[in-house]
Amino acid sequence: MNRADPLEKASLPSTLVSDRLLTWTAMGFLLAVLIFFMLYPVYDICKLSFYKEGVLTLKNYASYFSNPRMFRSLTNSLYVSIVTMVITTVLAFFFAYGLTRTTIRGKGLFYTISTFPLIAPSIIQGLALILLFGRNGLVTRYVLHTDWNIYGATGIIAAECLYCFPNALFILYTTLSAVDTRLDEAAQSLGASALKTFYKVTLPSAKYGIASAAALSFNLTITDFGVPVVIGGNYSVLATEIYQQVIGMQRFDLGATISVILLIPSVAAFLLNYYLTKKSYALISGQARPFLQPSRPLKKWAFTFYCWIPCIFILIVFITVFLGSFVKTWPYDFSLTFRHYNFPSLGGYAPIWTNFWASILKGEWQSILAYKYAPIWNSLWVSILVAIGGASLTLLAGYIIEKKKPMGEQILYTLSVLPAAIPGTVMGLGYILAFNKPYFFIYGTFWIIIINIIICNFTLGVLSSIANLKQIDKSIEEAAVSLGANPITTFTRVVFPLTRTAFFSNMAFFFMRAMTTISAVIFLISAKVKLAAIEIIFLDIDGRTASANAMCTIIILLVIGMLVAMRLITGRGGLKGMGAS
Amino acid sequence: MGRNLKLENLTKRFGNLVAVDRVNLEIEEGEFICFLGPSGCGKTTVLRMITGFETVTEGNVIFDGKVINDLIPQKREFGIVFQSYALFPNMTVEHNIAFGLKVRRMPKKAIAERVDQMLDLVGLRDWRRLYPAQLSGGQQQRVALVRALAPNPQVLLLDEPLSALDAKIRVRLRAEIKRLQQELKKTMIYVTHDQEEALSIADKVVVMETGQFRQVGRPIDIYKYPASSFVADFVGTSNFFKGLRTHDRVQTEKREFKISQMGASSKEEVYLAIRPEKIEVFKYGDPTGHLESTNLIPGRIDVVTFLGAAVRLVVNMDGEEVISDVIEKEFEQRQLKQGEEVALYFPPESFIIYPAKEKA
Repeated sequence: MNRADPLEKASLPSTLVSDRLLTWTAMGFLLAVLIFFMLYPVYDICKLSFYKEGVLTLKNYASYFSNPRMFRSLTNSLYVSIVTMVITTVLAFFFAYGLTRTTIRGKGLFYTISTFPLIAPSIIQGLALILLFGRNGLVTRYVLHTDWNIYGATGIIAAECLYCFPNALFILYTTLSAVDTRLDEAAQSLGASALKTFYKVTLPSAKYGIASAAALSFNLTITDFGVPVVIGGNYSVLATEIYQQVIGMQRFDLGATISVILLIPSVAAFLLNYYLTKKSYALISGQARPFLQPSRPLKKWAFTFYCWIPCIFILIVFITVFLGSFVKTWPYDFSLTFRHYNFPSLGGYAPIWTNFWASILKGEWQSILAYKYAPIWNSLWVSILVAIGGASLTLLAGYIIEKKKPMGEQILYTLSVLPAAIPGTVMGLGYILAFNKPYFFIYGTFWIIIINIIICNFTLGVLSSIANLKQIDKSIEEAAVSLGANPITTFTRVVFPLTRTAFFSNMAFFFMRAMTTISAVIFLISAKVKLAAIEIIFLDIDGRTASANAMCTIIILLVIGMLVAMRLITGRGGLKGMGAS
Repeated sequence: MGRNLKLENLTKRFGNLVAVDRVNLEIEEGEFICFLGPSGCGKTTVLRMITGFETVTEGNVIFDGKVINDLIPQKREFGIVFQSYALFPNMTVEHNIAFGLKVRRMPKKAIAERVDQMLDLVGLRDWRRLYPAQLSGGQQQRVALVRALAPNPQVLLLDEPLSALDAKIRVRLRAEIKRLQQELKKTMIYVTHDQEEALSIADKVVVMETGQFRQVGRPIDIYKYPASSFVADFVGTSNFFKGLRTHDRVQTEKREFKISQMGASSKEEVYLAIRPEKIEVFKYGDPTGHLESTNLIPGRIDVVTFLGAAVRLVVNMDGEEVISDVIEKEFEQRQLKQGEEVALYFPPESFIIYPAKEKA
């Protein structure tokens, strides 16, 4: 073979960056971000709660526990969380059982409907329940003519059940579809009755999944802020009590104390969930599962009926809020109107957006679009940046943890999964304590909100990046390196294109969280910086329930729009041509 | 003198586990070397230390007179072909091949020429615009081969490149690799656990066991003169007998063999190894008078396996099983069949003798 001339001359650039140097730089950066924006605020909270006038003391805790009104928030929180946990886990388990172990029709539809609560702020369940069962609720006042209403513990529990349902379902669905159904068949072939099989085989084999779903439901409920704030009435829970103490009474020390108290059950539930998930995956057998034998008609009928129950509730929630945003005066006057979409003046301002609309519109439209819709534009803008930043950072972290495995990788992993253990309200308060300082120039801007949302949702992003990177054969990267590609080229030209689909779905996740999150950012908004999800709460508190519904509907539509756009992008762009012949 | 690759006391330890134990080897430019050994013997670890993906615990990898232990993989300019092909699934065949040239910032025209040249080398010109997923395993591995060759690497390393392919394609591609090597005169280092593949493809075979080189030599020498009972067992098939040797006799549990090599007069424990094709099989009662009668042993054919050109017999000699390969023609002529009483002849000069202590 003739050696082509240019080949002899062509050589690798002499500035090949060392892989190790890049890895260490990236890891150092990520560690710094996580320590500064996650550990430091939590540390500040702990410090504040244990110090009074510069002295290490338990005084704050003493005053918390000696004040019966405040102390009740702890028992209240535990009560609603435990009840929610039990109801959600049981409901979701049989729902998952129906989807995985029976041959009912419409499984795809059931599954899709059950995930709806994920695309809306948790507050939507509260809004819908108030419209139906509140003081002026459609059902309570006009159907049953009763004075009973849902405010308080009942409302919180009902709303949280709906909110936790898809999260618990996802875990149980994975567990039940992974456990070998042949065990059930073997038990039955040995003469065990259906009920006995269920108790002796099905239930024990799914025990870790069940416990993990329960722990997650508990954690979601005890840390949630949106639902109790709108439907709790006077029923105070830890998350709302923190806000009450800090924003209402400027008692940062008590807020910090309650935060630490809230941290304990939520971290415990997180650790339990984390430990159980690992156990649960260890039980999954890699063997092929045989064809599911057709269920008996009665079983099919019963499970179809059962699965419709949560689905109908979820649909009612969405339809109620959607309708509630269009009718003139719920529940007196059901004539349709767009009036509630003309929000009361929120005094909003959004960079670029406001100037743009103000310059081309006049009169009422100018005030609606340029000023009243500013929080929506802000939310969208924040969500886009969170999506890009969050997906990139978690991909980088996942890449270092899964592929590079440098020394100290375990520390990075631990810090990366920790945010899920820290309740949003705690993180929000921590940010005020840590960063509300004159020299910390991004405090009070969008940037602190963006960073906060990325950090709060870091865990799921990293875990899904790791899961995805695991699927890329190690030798593909080595092939690129052996061909002379530097670490950056290897990443951009080979690794990234292969994780693109996962990257986009991570972006969708971060976008969704940024659009709907309330608990942490409620501490970080200011008169200048407003967000759509937070406005729902303020509109509701102001008694403008219909406008709160309208704002909620807009958020849902934006999230759906983004999901459709993502589907189009990844569908078309993906790995073009692959698989097509 | 060419650019030689030298391994000097090369050692790799993972914690307490010694994966590669002080191995030494000199590979000349243009040589085709094959590392052969059972899985877990450390052959891939040696390869990975040569490529730079694994750090060296002790010893040196020397290329062209320079120690390259700490050189990053990119700078070694060694091509690698992986067992899993490792083609970039997001790029077409031609972009895969061009990858190594692009990162070297070669002019576009030169890249196009080189890619054409490479495609012709393996006859894949018509497939250039397809994605790896659209190719068969054999085609993918051909692309991987020329992708590694495209930047004109100094050495080409192949890590079990054919293990994922089915038998027929494996043999064909094996021949193709051999042809490419002879055409390009490129130094190639090939790792495999398949002894047939190793013997048929390489100029020189390195047999590895538990992190050490057991024998280095031409394929024919490895086969004919295995340096240890491990090699005799691992490369090809051998029958083993344990016994005590005095002079030219070996006393086993059940019988005595005459051997051609003289030993000491004191008793020494040894293993006798003999290849199946060296054992001759006669129908019981056929004339065998001209043969050394000590080594003529009666038995019964238990199993007959047809291998194509040869027939493999499992013969039971009074409870001891012996494998013997007979060429198909002889099998027919001598009218051998299962259940037949036969006489086996072990030519004294065909035994290879190993001291017993070395075989575990």
